[in-house]
Amino acid sequence: MDKELLKIENLTIGFPTKSGIHTVVDHVNLEVGKGEIVGIVGESGSGKSMTSLAVMGLLSEEAQVSEGSIQLNGQELLGMSREERRKIQGKNMSMIFQEPMTSLNPVMKIGTQVGESLKLHTDLDKEAIRGRVIEALASVGLRNPELLVDQYPHEISGGMRQRVMIAMAIINHPDLIIADEPTTALDVTVQAQILNLLKKIHRDTGSSILFISHDLNVIKEVCQKVVVMYKGVIVERGDAKEVLKHPKHEYTRKLVASMPDQVRKSQNTKKLLEVQDLNVYYKENKKLFSSKDKRKHIIHGMSFDLYEGEILGVVGESGCGKSTLAKTIVGLNREYDGKLEMDHLKPQMVFQDPFSSLNPARKIGWILEEPLKLKGIKDKKQRKELVNQMLTEIGLDPSFANRYARELSGGQRQRISIGLSLMRGEKLIIADEPVSALDVTVQSQILRLLLKLHDEKNLTYMFISHDLNVVHHMCHRVIVMYLGRIVEMADVDELYDHPCHPYTRMLFDSILTDEEKETTDSVTVNEILPETVDGDGGCPFYGRCRYAGENCLSEVPTLTDIGTPGHPHLVRCERIAYGEKYTAAD
Amino acid sequence: MKYFIKKIITLIITLLFISLLTFTAFSVIPGDAAISKLGVDASPEAIARVRAEYELDQPVMTRYVHWLEKALHGDFGRSYKYDTMTVTQLLKSRLPVTILLAVMSFVIIVVIALPLGMLSARFAGKWLDVLINQLTQITMAIPSFFLGIILTVIFGLVLKVFQPGGYVSMQEDLKGCLEYLILPAVAVALPKIAMVVKYLRNSVLSEMKKDYVRTAYSKGNSVNQVLYGHVLRNALIPVITFVAMVAAEILAGSLVIEQVFSIPGMGRLMITSISTRDYPVVQAAVLYITSIVVIINFLVDILYQLADPRVRTA
Repeated sequence: MDKELLKIENLTIGFPTKSGIHTVVDHVNLEVGKGEIVGIVGESGSGKSMTSLAVMGLLSEEAQVSEGSIQLNGQELLGMSREERRKIQGKNMSMIFQEPMTSLNPVMKIGTQVGESLKLHTDLDKEAIRGRVIEALASVGLRNPELLVDQYPHEISGGMRQRVMIAMAIINHPDLIIADEPTTALDVTVQAQILNLLKKIHRDTGSSILFISHDLNVIKEVCQKVVVMYKGVIVERGDAKEVLKHPKHEYTRKLVASMPDQVRKSQNTKKLLEVQDLNVYYKENKKLFSSKDKRKHIIHGMSFDLYEGEILGVVGESGCGKSTLAKTIVGLNREYDGKLEMDHLKPQMVFQDPFSSLNPARKIGWILEEPLKLKGIKDKKQRKELVNQMLTEIGLDPSFANRYARELSGGQRQRISIGLSLMRGEKLIIADEPVSALDVTVQSQILRLLLKLHDEKNLTYMFISHDLNVVHHMCHRVIVMYLGRIVEMADVDELYDHPCHPYTRMLFDSILTDEEKETTDSVTVNEILPETVDGDGGCPFYGRCRYAGENCLSEVPTLTDIGTPGHPHLVRCERIAYGEKYTAAD
Repeated sequence: MKYFIKKIITLIITLLFISLLTFTAFSVIPGDAAISKLGVDASPEAIARVRAEYELDQPVMTRYVHWLEKALHGDFGRSYKYDTMTVTQLLKSRLPVTILLAVMSFVIIVVIALPLGMLSARFAGKWLDVLINQLTQITMAIPSFFLGIILTVIFGLVLKVFQPGGYVSMQEDLKGCLEYLILPAVAVALPKIAMVVKYLRNSVLSEMKKDYVRTAYSKGNSVNQVLYGHVLRNALIPVITFVAMVAAEILAGSLVIEQVFSIPGMGRLMITSISTRDYPVVQAAVLYITSIVVIINFLVDILYQLADPRVRTA
């Protein structure tokens, strides 16, 4: 068992640029033994993906491997002809890619795609391949595999597509599976299922896995050994748990400690924003010949207040309506009824994707000046002055005013987005997943910046995120949303210490916390959660609820306060309302 | 089914709109059918008589309503110029030629452009791609009527492969007719081939950068297997729309080329009818061509759904 399956020696990869070769992978040595799971952790640009692509033989044509060797089962992969390499790809090794949405061919049936490596590498006939495909789809926990083979990728959810990707990778029983950020694009609840599935596959088949991720918690969860890459170089390696508990290299330490300290709770009781019975709709495309005015009910009767100086977190899976809520508050969606009151405020928004939300044709200075123009500041000099001031405040040099967004890194762009939201001097900022597109170490910088500005300018944030760890560190109070409803709302410590709603508990079960967890198998592999359906009566969470009783199907639960005076803890669950309280043992 | 009804309603609305538009256009532009029929020396009485016969003395809307009533019964009236023929007869003799010419051009475009586009993309940046690129650049720049003249000179006058102006009718000799139509079809097709090649090449190259292509390679597919098994169908989806536009343009293009090669098709009929103010013929011809274009678009919609499963379910 201790024989090496994959052996990378002195691997050096570079890209030719005008000023010579730009090295992205620098003398990397790495071994993966038979049946081992080895993780590579690092941020984007660290060379971790390049290394895996080199193993897989998928480097782009511009990439130059100047030195080194990659051996699989003692066979040298570098310098192989395309024809020779094809015999190994999909047979001895396979790859699971990051984006299940785009990594599958949209116009090809799922069955054909999953069975393709069998078609290429074996003599099996159509019927036999179909049988194996159905088997593989079933083994990754997909229901109705017989139907699935004839469906197309757009007909199934992201989590299911990632399972299809995994089925595709394991169908030919490869010796080595390379998983490149396989869970990054998925919701937390789905993420935990996929990781468990990978572990199960590893147990059942004994395949070796090279697991690439930027997420330390994920690495710790899955891998036995880990290497840490930074700027193309391996800076640390060893036993996964050991490395992450006692990091030796400075960069690893930075990675491990990339959470900012929590802020003090503000005691202000001045309401900045009052939301009462808010219902939000989306107008569906009106058809030419139908008179019916169709609209989709997204947010159902939400009520909450936001106090001055507070940081209010909003968490929930994608599709729960958190982004819709944000858009409605800043006025980008006018299809709503209910009360939405704020005092002379124009809340500003910080968007998730700093790459596409800044105008690429304009300089940063122009972008930052625009709100000032709208505000009516006509003096050019004064505007420049204010822009320079803002750039300094967000930790950038005033010379950035002359640059274009494309010349900036993701973190710098997000700083600009934050600066932009502050230009008008508004006090309420709605941040919609402001750091989820960024690397871990950059994330912590941006979060620190947000906290610094919060303290200095007495800002109020509504902080939307799917990352429960970030919310824990950033926020004073948290709203948990499910299908457009508040299912739980409480002060952050209360919520994290005593999560009451079954959905909140499910979310918390699926995050991989800093502490060791014994019961990671609590979400079983075959448990495909039913699609979220919005029924007419009863509890909207009924279909997924582990604790659901009979009356949950007939009675619509209301919000119940189980908190102490001054610290409300609202839960929308019938069983809670009847005085049941779940204990940690549940 | 609902889809079909919707499409037919759209077609009817389009036709109504187009017919009204041509009717009003002719009432606005100068010129008189009676004068162009009788000649400038005709007596005012004779002109008045003809005008009354053709209802030209009535207001436009009255004429339009009359025309519409008859047209709904399939009667498009008589040609002013060819008194003995009904418009329907006239069109029946001309339409097949134009359609044959258009179909030939279209087939030539598809048969030549698709392989060339794939080759160009497969060897992007290599000499073959550069060569194809240069050729398409040149052919795209030449208007098809000029190309027609050059082809006539080379093949008709120098090589004497065909007889310029010696059109053979379909009924007499189908093979001879096809042979005669090949050159005009090529003249119409060449510039369009160039466009389709470029479009397909770029579509393929942008598809090659997509994530699913990397997935396909990771399974051990060869370049050709990826190209024809995975990329082609995805790359064709935008090309289908483009080719549909080309198909409509071919019809317009054949009007000009019929003039150059003296082919008795719809194009020539329309041009002479316009200059002699033969309104009933023009009106009907425009409607026919409009219907054909709308029908082509309809076929493309169906093709689109076949090619892209995502459209099917939406």
